Amino acid sequence: MCVWYPEWALRRPDVSPETLVQVVDAAGLVVARSVPTARAGVEIGMHRRTAEAVCPAVTTLDQDATLEMLRFEPIVEAIESLVPRVEVVAPGEVMVALSGAITYYGGEETLVGRVDGELDRFGGGHRIGVAFGPFSAHHAARRATDTVPVRRVEDDSFLENLDVSTLGSDDLAATFRWLGIRTLGEVAQLPIDAVTARFGRRGADAHEIASGVDRTVDVRAIPVDPCVSMEFDPPILEMEQAAFASRDLARRLIERLAPHGVAPHRVVVRARAADGTERTRTWRSVDPFSDGALAERIRWQLRAWIDGVSAGIRGGLVRLEAEPSELSGSGRQLTLAEDAAGAEQARRSLVEVQALAGSDGVLVASEQGGRDPVDRILWSRWGEDTAASARDVDAPWPGRIPGPAPALVPPDPVPFSVRFVDGIPDQVRLRARWEPVLSWAGPWRAVGRWWHGESHADRYQIVTSVGAYLCEIRDGRTWLLAVYD
Amino acid sequence: MVASLERFDHRIGHPVAPLGRSSEPPGIWALAPGQVAGLDGGPGSGMTRLGWSLLAPHAQRGQVAYVDVRGWMNPAAAWESGIAPDRLVVVRCDDVTVWGRVMGALVAGVHGLFAEVPAGVRDPVLRTVGARARTSGTPVILRPLGGALPGGLAHLRIEARSVAWDGVEGGHGHLRSRRMGVEASGKAARGMQQTIEVVDGQGAHDVRLVSGVGAPSSRRLA
Repeated sequence: MCVWYPEWALRRPDVSPETLVQVVDAAGLVVARSVPTARAGVEIGMHRRTAEAVCPAVTTLDQDATLEMLRFEPIVEAIESLVPRVEVVAPGEVMVALSGAITYYGGEETLVGRVDGELDRFGGGHRIGVAFGPFSAHHAARRATDTVPVRRVEDDSFLENLDVSTLGSDDLAATFRWLGIRTLGEVAQLPIDAVTARFGRRGADAHEIASGVDRTVDVRAIPVDPCVSMEFDPPILEMEQAAFASRDLARRLIERLAPHGVAPHRVVVRARAADGTERTRTWRSVDPFSDGALAERIRWQLRAWIDGVSAGIRGGLVRLEAEPSELSGSGRQLTLAEDAAGAEQARRSLVEVQALAGSDGVLVASEQGGRDPVDRILWSRWGEDTAASARDVDAPWPGRIPGPAPALVPPDPVPFSVRFVDGIPDQVRLRARWEPVLSWAGPWRAVGRWWHGESHADRYQIVTSVGAYLCEIRDGRTWLLAVYD
Repeated sequence: MVASLERFDHRIGHPVAPLGRSSEPPGIWALAPGQVAGLDGGPGSGMTRLGWSLLAPHAQRGQVAYVDVRGWMNPAAAWESGIAPDRLVVVRCDDVTVWGRVMGALVAGVHGLFAEVPAGVRDPVLRTVGARARTSGTPVILRPLGGALPGGLAHLRIEARSVAWDGVEGGHGHLRSRRMGVEASGKAARGMQQTIEVVDGQGAHDVRLVSGVGAPSSRRLA
């Protein structure tokens, strides 16, 4: 279930909703506007200057997310008093997992009615979306109205009619439209293989959502306890100190996860007061949290607890803890040297190259175990999940040729002419001429799988004045396996 | 296996910042954004390894790509040169008619590009690739498989002259390191032909100026 307050940023004491007023974020984009302002033509996402040109009389206010969360906290607590599993998405929006509570309240309708009634105590204006997953619930809430504040999604037909822009990617939606695909129902009808080959991982995600399978987090196990905490002695009494602590805690959490290439989609924030009481709140995000985004949410939450109307943090803050969950490798925190915009540009280029060279022509490689250089590489199509190899890299692999790795390896052995004198390599044929062998190593015996009819082979490293080669003699013939280029 | 990023200033012998963060102008072996390098040498001459060393600093910032015309490219050599596996994409394209368009798309997006040039690619196509590299700021390394690059295209041209391997002798040992004699020319070599000896061992390259203008120098590539 999603509970959403439209234009939550406008719910502040200094704003009258009947006047021409809008709220802009730090980037100067409109995040909320009053009904008269909307009638004048101002839209969400519009740049401040454009909005002021459209509606010159509008009063523009800066967004203050901390105060928004402070005002939202009592509503979250009210919902939490009915259903324990509340996850805050942003000030003005929460997701509630209903599965367990439905049984307790004797039905979904009763439960939603109780939540609806509880929220009426705060002046109403809320919207409720009930669906099988967060994506559907989010959009169902946005299609509820003042007169019908609860919108239930019974089946996939709701998703079928949603516009492709709801997928949250402008360029993906633009490409779908260019291909004549306008709704999620049409996306769902496309073959998953074709969508993945054309758009990669993002396409596969979009297809899952359109098919009624909400974005599934690619949960990855990590070998450390990811929980981070800080103790304060003496207790923190000032909000400014708490803000510094939240920034430090978020940075430590993300840094602890970064070496494993993961970032959390959900974080439980716990604060313990000096009198022993503990407050807990869960925050979730569709995209994995960065340290900045997480620090911001912890700060909002602490402010809501400290300055809120409820009990607060009595005697000061003595312990702060963040416990991540739903760790995923997608959208992980970038390192300082990485270029986020460049990564997106590279992705677009590679999608274009896939169209030119075919999906089998754009590849990524990973290491796997094997004796021959060609066996040690596991190729997979770019944009698709890499299949896990059953061949252990750390296994001994007897007969393996030691490093350095040759730079050129033909996919299949190539016939190669070597003249032996008294069993010692003497000359090799390179194109039209015979080149003397300067030095050589081997042979290393590679025992073939005789039960598959594979014969044994002897491998040699041969050095000439123009380069070094790895070759093998099998069944009396010499083959080139690799070139040390 | 990620090689050390540390380089050594050839004038005073002190460690300097890794490539990409240094304030000093790039030398011969630091291919700056938008520059084109041409590698000339047959299979076995060591040019592929040298190309990876030139590309490795750019893979620290983002995705790099290799255009594989022969289908023989072994990514393990790139990993040994300091390019992380998830930063390398290999594009297999042996069609001369499509090669230019593939290059155009890649140059516009990736952080560095190493490409084999198939025989039969016309000079205007290569010049267009060079112009796009300059426009987009993508360093491009070209390895012609037949013929030569058109004059004036490459900021740095490296031609293989000799190669000598260490580690094997009369059936014993195994290949360990090699000494490559190369000739560098182009604007990056101050417009003069310079003979350089490169010692290549397990992905790290010690570069030594043997002849040319300036005092003999030594520094680590990757």
